[in-house]
Amino acid sequence: MSLPSLAEVEHADWTSLQRMCENLGLNPKGRSAVVRMRVADFVRRRGQPPTWRPAKAHQAALLTRIGHPDLAERLWESTMQLDAPGPWAGLGHAQLAGGFLAEAAKSFSRAAQMGEPGAELHRAEALAAGGNFAGAAAACDVHLASQPRDLRGILMKVSFLTRAGFEDEAAKVLRSAIDLHPEAPELARSLGLALLRSDHHEAAADALHAATQRDSKDASAAAVRGAALLLAGRTREAIGVLREALELDPERADALNNLGVAYLAMGQTKPAAVSLERAAKRFESPRIILNLGKVLEAANRKTEAAGAYEQVLRLRPKDSEGRAGRKRLAPSGKAKRSRKASAKSAKKTTLSRRTRSKSTPPKTAAPETAGT
Amino acid sequence: MTVLPPETARRFLPSVDRLENAMRAARRSLDRGDLEGALREDDVAIQLKPEYDAAWLLRGHIFRKDGNVPGAIEAFAQALKINGESQEGWLGLASSLHAVGRYPEEIEAYDRLLQIQPRSLEAWIDKGAALHDIGDYRGAIACYDKVLAMRPEHAPAWSNKGAALLRLGDDAGAARSFDEALQLDPDFFDAMANRVLLCRKLNRHGETVLWADRALRVREAPWLWYVKGEAHLGLGESTLAMKAFERSLALDPKSKEAKAGLRRAKAARQKGDVYRGVYECFGTHAAGDPGCEGCEILGRCRLVTP
Repeated sequence: MSLPSLAEVEHADWTSLQRMCENLGLNPKGRSAVVRMRVADFVRRRGQPPTWRPAKAHQAALLTRIGHPDLAERLWESTMQLDAPGPWAGLGHAQLAGGFLAEAAKSFSRAAQMGEPGAELHRAEALAAGGNFAGAAAACDVHLASQPRDLRGILMKVSFLTRAGFEDEAAKVLRSAIDLHPEAPELARSLGLALLRSDHHEAAADALHAATQRDSKDASAAAVRGAALLLAGRTREAIGVLREALELDPERADALNNLGVAYLAMGQTKPAAVSLERAAKRFESPRIILNLGKVLEAANRKTEAAGAYEQVLRLRPKDSEGRAGRKRLAPSGKAKRSRKASAKSAKKTTLSRRTRSKSTPPKTAAPETAGT
Repeated sequence: MTVLPPETARRFLPSVDRLENAMRAARRSLDRGDLEGALREDDVAIQLKPEYDAAWLLRGHIFRKDGNVPGAIEAFAQALKINGESQEGWLGLASSLHAVGRYPEEIEAYDRLLQIQPRSLEAWIDKGAALHDIGDYRGAIACYDKVLAMRPEHAPAWSNKGAALLRLGDDAGAARSFDEALQLDPDFFDAMANRVLLCRKLNRHGETVLWADRALRVREAPWLWYVKGEAHLGLGESTLAMKAFERSLALDPKSKEAKAGLRRAKAARQKGDVYRGVYECFGTHAAGDPGCEGCEILGRCRLVTP
């Protein structure tokens, strides 16, 4: 028979207690409180012990996660043992969450000295949180000295080098990582992004091409490759690649925006407007709507263009390009003349903005890639 | 071996690796129970870095394990000179002072630790126990209340509070505290043992036997067997009393009280012997209880229930 729960025993009346004793083969005689205690003892001893009970370390880790790093810190300190690096790593995390970055780095360092394998990477995170990206990259180097193939360590190093401004160095690390891990397509994509950020557009396009060859369904790599080609001036190829990216993922606002810009560069305002309208529907970004405004302006759809600039100013009231656009399209006599005069410059600015707008897509694509 | 010229030797800093290796080896030896080896390695660490608090703490632990309490006190004090904020250091020092009965200094050590870490449960509980030892029961209760304010589910704090209340003569308060402790941890030996003492004080022999039995299921102690024997005598159960005193003597053959108890039990057996049968609650009659209404030895139980 199944055991009653402790709550059932606690609240059982005398008859039920007698029945429980009978079923469990216990002595039913005596004062009710004593019989109840007898049944409860039996249930407690025979009942399945809990398979898992949180230890102090578990509680401390949980406290860090739920936003009580000060309590977690104290608990970790109470779990310190003479030869266990784990509590030092936990203490470091609590200190990091509490904003004590230098202390956290020290704790991680202590855990690393005691042999914790990932402690140097945690120390790198603590250093990076304090803005010391060069130190963080150096900590990753220490980690990679013992585990040279560790992908997490490599990608963290790349990220810190990039944030420290050593983009070429980051690209180098990524190239060697691709040799070490040919099975990881995201490395090629990350390399492409790193090259794109350091304005090596052709090289970026090649790296991203390699990434798409490794994983033909990688819409993100295809979209960024399109941006790289566009920035490299290979507009026709860019259009093809961006359309392929959109076949894989029709919802990508960055690819739609870049396709619009590419069409505009080819002088095809109609498909450019269609792409940008689709992009703006998916993601209400001032950059996309500005591009749309300029394309509509170029296509002489001035009312709609004015509406787009208004929308930009609603999102970002001080946007200079939005204000300039609204001013150009303002319906006054003087403005008419100036509009005429500015129509040429508008065209120029449209072109210049096209170039500027090209830098937007990599920014949109960046958070989706590994290691950045 | 390279001999460094004196000037270089002064500037020479020991390798961190060597220091850590010595510490690690010392800790491993201590874990293995090789105290001599642990002390040897710890000496190496201290020679490499005399101002290393962890090495002095380790030395304190080694000495404590070895029974060298004065040495342990000195080592913990040295560690605290280097790092006055070490919880491990203060707790180690305090427990060593406790071991040699230096309670006022022990309490001072807890106070110093509580200045640094006012939420240290260990320090509050141990300070309470030290105050209890010197007879300051109200001070002890204040310490336990601090713990219970932070952790109301702390069974040892409830049990200790009950013990202090018992000393102050607040039997009802003590009973409530033991109830809380046993509700939180039904197998908590200290709370059961304290409850036995409370029942004994109130001359409730039936309950004394009941709780002594429960406590003895968790852990045997000669004094508990003795108290149980006395309670059986109070209930007129000479044979059970004899068995309890005999067990007490088996655990502590030198106990004069147990020997005297056994003599009394043997003499009482000549006059009579009550048999309780399956009723482990004998002597705890409660009017109106459904279990008591159907009891076969109700009349006798009523007679011995206070």
